[in-house]
Amino acid sequence: MMTPLCLLLTSVLVFTGGAFVALLCCKSDRASIYISGIAGVVGSLAGLAASVPVMLAGKAITYVHAGPFPFTHFTVRFDALAAFMVFVIALLVLVASIYSFSYVQEYEGRGAWAMGFFTNLFVASMIALVAVDNAFYFLVFFELMSLSSYFLVIFDQNEEAVEAGFLYFLIAHAGSILILGSFFIFWWQTGSLDFSAFREAKLSAPLASIAFVLAFLGFGAKAGMVPLHSWLPRAHPAAPSHASALMSGVMVKIGVFGIIKVGVDLLGATTVWWGILVLAIGAISAVLGVLYALTEQDIKRLLAYSTVENVGIILMGVGVGMIGMAVNNTVLAVMGLLGALYHTLNHAVFKGLLFLGAGSIIYRAHTRNMEELGGLARTMPYTALAFLVGSMAISALPPLNGFVSEWFTYQALFNMSTNGGFLLHFSGPVAIVMLALTGALASMCFVKLYGITFSGMPRSEHAEHSREAPAPMVLAMLLLALGCIALGLGAPIVAPVMAGIASSLANSGLIGVAQGTIVHPANTAQAMLSTPLITILLLAAPVLPLLMAAIFKGPRLPRRHEGDAWACGYIHDAKMVVSSEGFAQPARFMFAPLFQLRERLNPSSPLRAGLQASINGAARIESVVDTFIITPIMRVAHWLGNCIQWLQHGDFRVYCLYVVAALVVLLFVTVA
Amino acid sequence: MPTIEIFLLALVQAAILLVLAPVFTGISRVMRAKMHSRKGPGILQDYRDLFKLYKRQDVAPAASGIVFTVMPYVLMASMLVVAMALPVFTQKSPIGVAGDLITVAYLFALARFFFSLSGLDTGSTFGGLGASRESTLGVLVEPTMILSLLVAALIQGTTNIGGISTAIATGHVQSPMAIILAFVAFGFAVYIEMGKLPFDMAEAEQELQEGPLTEYAGSGLATLKWGLALKKIVVAAMFVGVFIPFGNAATLSIGGLVLAAVLFLVKVLTVYLLTALFENGMARGRFLLTSRITWVGFGVASLSFVFYLAGL
Repeated sequence: MMTPLCLLLTSVLVFTGGAFVALLCCKSDRASIYISGIAGVVGSLAGLAASVPVMLAGKAITYVHAGPFPFTHFTVRFDALAAFMVFVIALLVLVASIYSFSYVQEYEGRGAWAMGFFTNLFVASMIALVAVDNAFYFLVFFELMSLSSYFLVIFDQNEEAVEAGFLYFLIAHAGSILILGSFFIFWWQTGSLDFSAFREAKLSAPLASIAFVLAFLGFGAKAGMVPLHSWLPRAHPAAPSHASALMSGVMVKIGVFGIIKVGVDLLGATTVWWGILVLAIGAISAVLGVLYALTEQDIKRLLAYSTVENVGIILMGVGVGMIGMAVNNTVLAVMGLLGALYHTLNHAVFKGLLFLGAGSIIYRAHTRNMEELGGLARTMPYTALAFLVGSMAISALPPLNGFVSEWFTYQALFNMSTNGGFLLHFSGPVAIVMLALTGALASMCFVKLYGITFSGMPRSEHAEHSREAPAPMVLAMLLLALGCIALGLGAPIVAPVMAGIASSLANSGLIGVAQGTIVHPANTAQAMLSTPLITILLLAAPVLPLLMAAIFKGPRLPRRHEGDAWACGYIHDAKMVVSSEGFAQPARFMFAPLFQLRERLNPSSPLRAGLQASINGAARIESVVDTFIITPIMRVAHWLGNCIQWLQHGDFRVYCLYVVAALVVLLFVTVA
Repeated sequence: MPTIEIFLLALVQAAILLVLAPVFTGISRVMRAKMHSRKGPGILQDYRDLFKLYKRQDVAPAASGIVFTVMPYVLMASMLVVAMALPVFTQKSPIGVAGDLITVAYLFALARFFFSLSGLDTGSTFGGLGASRESTLGVLVEPTMILSLLVAALIQGTTNIGGISTAIATGHVQSPMAIILAFVAFGFAVYIEMGKLPFDMAEAEQELQEGPLTEYAGSGLATLKWGLALKKIVVAAMFVGVFIPFGNAATLSIGGLVLAAVLFLVKVLTVYLLTALFENGMARGRFLLTSRITWVGFGVASLSFVFYLAGL
């Protein structure tokens, strides 16, 4: 029996090994597709095996190895939170690897080996990142993750991808610098780069706040929270779909993980306004993210904006948890973090599913534009079914998983609103209303996504002639769809595990959140929820109308399923049906000011302008150096050259004379 | 877990609401006819419509798929679950584990999701636009609904609808002004959810709002119409169950339940008559400007929140 740490090491080594073997197989794309896929499956199975026992037991395992320098203590701390992150990563990587066996064949002959290399390296760096307990290695792996994902973003090498990659590169590194600043404050105060020393550091309140805000902005940029989100809807869609699934499903969670790591784990969430800040940014991200998603026509961009929304919902939970810790209300702290962690897992599952679904559509219909799709439910029935489940889960419809985690977030916010001072009384309900608005907008958004893409008439040749995706891709999507159902129905089993991780973060005793088939927010009087019972009722209730239809049937003709939809007597045409843009038009009209805000808040043009200015500045400074240092030196050299030029006559007799003269001089020197 | 008696009560109250739903839509139609100075159909016309539709052939356009077929059943199922979870005749919610205000709001969202999606699923011109409008209305009404219920929930310290109902019924009201304003705001949301002018015109199928109904026929249409009627009576029952629960049975006794049932019918009838009065006094408006009207509801809900904060 291998220990969890051994398994974790195995997992990282398999991913790294898979990456390099894929690189060695660059002559044969097919071989590298299989090798990187198999490495993905094996590595993620090892990761799952490593994380499950630690996640259930909740005890941290540590390993220390002194490095060559004092700042490079290689410390591994595999605690409940790290195990949870490894579990989420491994789960999605497992499915994405199964998917990649077929999907990457689309890239055969276009450097699939590089995709295998970067994907596996990307996963290895994420798994290593969550387990290390030293700021130096943390930053190294963080950087490795950013860089390997950067190469996945620019994989297609077209103008759009390169531009998106550039923006991603800039913002990722701006974020890294902020994180570096935060860690610098810790190092300055403790003289060590170990997280264990950081935990013990007694930072003064202003310093702690600065460290937190720096880390929050730095990791927030990675998580894609508003207003640092603009790279996300460009970069995620540009990557190949299974990599988009990993980036949206897992990589943004590394940002959330960082915020929890610094805010809760290292700093202990001692100040109330940190939590309020996280909650406010989360709520704003949720509403704006889904609103912008609603008006997208590109499937993958829509999904990427929806990632901004879901990161917002997760951050709302994190914010409530931090507030709970700051006011010493452990129940509140655990409930908030429980909602955040549960939604992290759920979002990985359904967003992974939706991105893989988008990949299948692109694989068959060769377009990301919803206006050119339609009617895919008939040609791709299994993809459609899985996509419908994912759409329902992300719209938080009961009894699926998205509903359960949002329910916990609602309950945590409600708990916050009934306890504590005026600020909490006020901000809790405001956040609840914003979450409700987000829910309604998400429902509209995914009705549009599913409806325009899979329902109705096909709007292009491609859509009409599409067919079901290959078996591995369908299998991957159906597995995730099952995950959506299981995580929803299994809430009474899953919620206590999440509560265990949350309570280990909040340093509290175990808090019960489940009884039999019921989950509750640590207080059955406040609320109760039983997803299994709701499912049974929802499945049983249609018996009544079916029965009535059967009883009152009479001499009814059999069902007729043919012909066009009614179009006032005209010949029906696919162009008559509402377009994706038209569907979202009321929302665009009613929330017009928020859409103008996006144009104003878009940092890419100021960033670009800033970069251009610094290039210009550098160019000018370069010429300054030229005029004052290089040019005078050159002039002197030139003058010297001119001076000695007269020695060079080009007459060989003169050179002979030089030789003789040199010999004479040497003779004199040696004799004297 | 609910006991057998409670579970039976839940089933019975859902069945009663289902059976009564067409009577109340019939009453609405009669009221409208009277206000238009028409003779109009009888109160039982909707039953006759339903029975006739059940005998008719189901027709579906070629483009339609599974969502189109299952939608009437999903709509009815989610409304029946809500009907079981509401405190209709009792003060407590019969099935408390589904009677949380968040759960109920998202069960409505489940119905709305499928209702909108079925509009797109037919490839119908009207269906698609109706789907867009239905979803938009959801976006406009949901914040008002949640905020007004939330104020009541905050005052009573529980998000369980039965818990709120019990507290109000027993006169445990800390901020009466806030509760009254929340009552008004929730009434506004209920009015929208009942599909009335200027937000909707439920009886006219060729209206865009009811666009998703365009392509239904036969037993599918019958189930759908019955489901929509059920939705109306369920939101009305939720309104009276949460904010006017006076007279509901505190314990399970036959006498108490019968009295509560009679009172319930009177209360719901009043709600239907009032909405009919309002509706027929309304003009239609441009759909894109609907948000200007719904701001009123949200404003009232916000005001009730402010009163709650002030402790009034």
